[in-house]
Amino acid sequence: MHLPAPAELLYALLLISIVLVVIVVLRPGITNSREGKMLAFLAFLILPVLCMFWGASEHIDRSKQTQFCLSCHVMEAYGKSLYVDDPSYVPAAHFQNHRIPVDEACYTCHTDYAMYGGIRAKMQGLQHIYVQYLGTIPNPIKLYTPYNNRECLHCHLGARSFESNPIHVALLDSIKSNQTSCITSGCHDTVHNVANQKNVKFWSPAQ
Amino acid sequence: MNIEPAAIGRGLRLPGILLILGLTIELISLLWAKPLAFILFAFVGGALFLAGIFLYLYSLVAARS
Repeated sequence: MHLPAPAELLYALLLISIVLVVIVVLRPGITNSREGKMLAFLAFLILPVLCMFWGASEHIDRSKQTQFCLSCHVMEAYGKSLYVDDPSYVPAAHFQNHRIPVDEACYTCHTDYAMYGGIRAKMQGLQHIYVQYLGTIPNPIKLYTPYNNRECLHCHLGARSFESNPIHVALLDSIKSNQTSCITSGCHDTVHNVANQKNVKFWSPAQ
Repeated sequence: MNIEPAAIGRGLRLPGILLILGLTIELISLLWAKPLAFILFAFVGGALFLAGIFLYLYSLVAARS
């Protein structure tokens, strides 16, 4: 049995809300009755509020998608870097081996795994939109703050492959406190590396 | 104190139009997964929606008084 996706249910609810509001606007006389007042209350308050909250939730979910992040021109090279055929490229190795959800690749590594981290990521996303359409896009684009090891440790800490590496064990406190950066201390320092993209091979996934 | 039915009916036209526009914009914005769609939803659709709700509630209060 095919169950409708949440987005399809939301479209249906939006259409029902619009139709009910149109009915009340075109036939205001129906609000003379008690049932009509209840219908107007449902059409003008309950359903629109439900639609707005549901719509906001749907938009927030969509903003986590890789294709959403890569829909801005400035991000194209970063999206392409996920397909570099070289395991030393950290994002490419994670993306191609499905160590992160492929559909939410950018968000998985670039959200803060801290309290209110998701909200902070969304606020920064609004700032990105402002810069994209009304500001000046820096070249090259940079993170607002140095990449926090916490985002790596969110998945790697406790993992056998991470903890069986003696260097990780020896430096664990320093890694946890960000004194030793995972990506700028010479260990995993090839990240997107978009400046060097002309000289690399790309992997094509089989369809 | 009774609410005058005709007053409610008349007062629903403008909030109704604002809500129809707000909900239509929300519907259109959901057809894209792009940053501009979110802006359209949050700022244009949201403003129309809030204005519609506010005017609807105001029309209820105004009809009472």
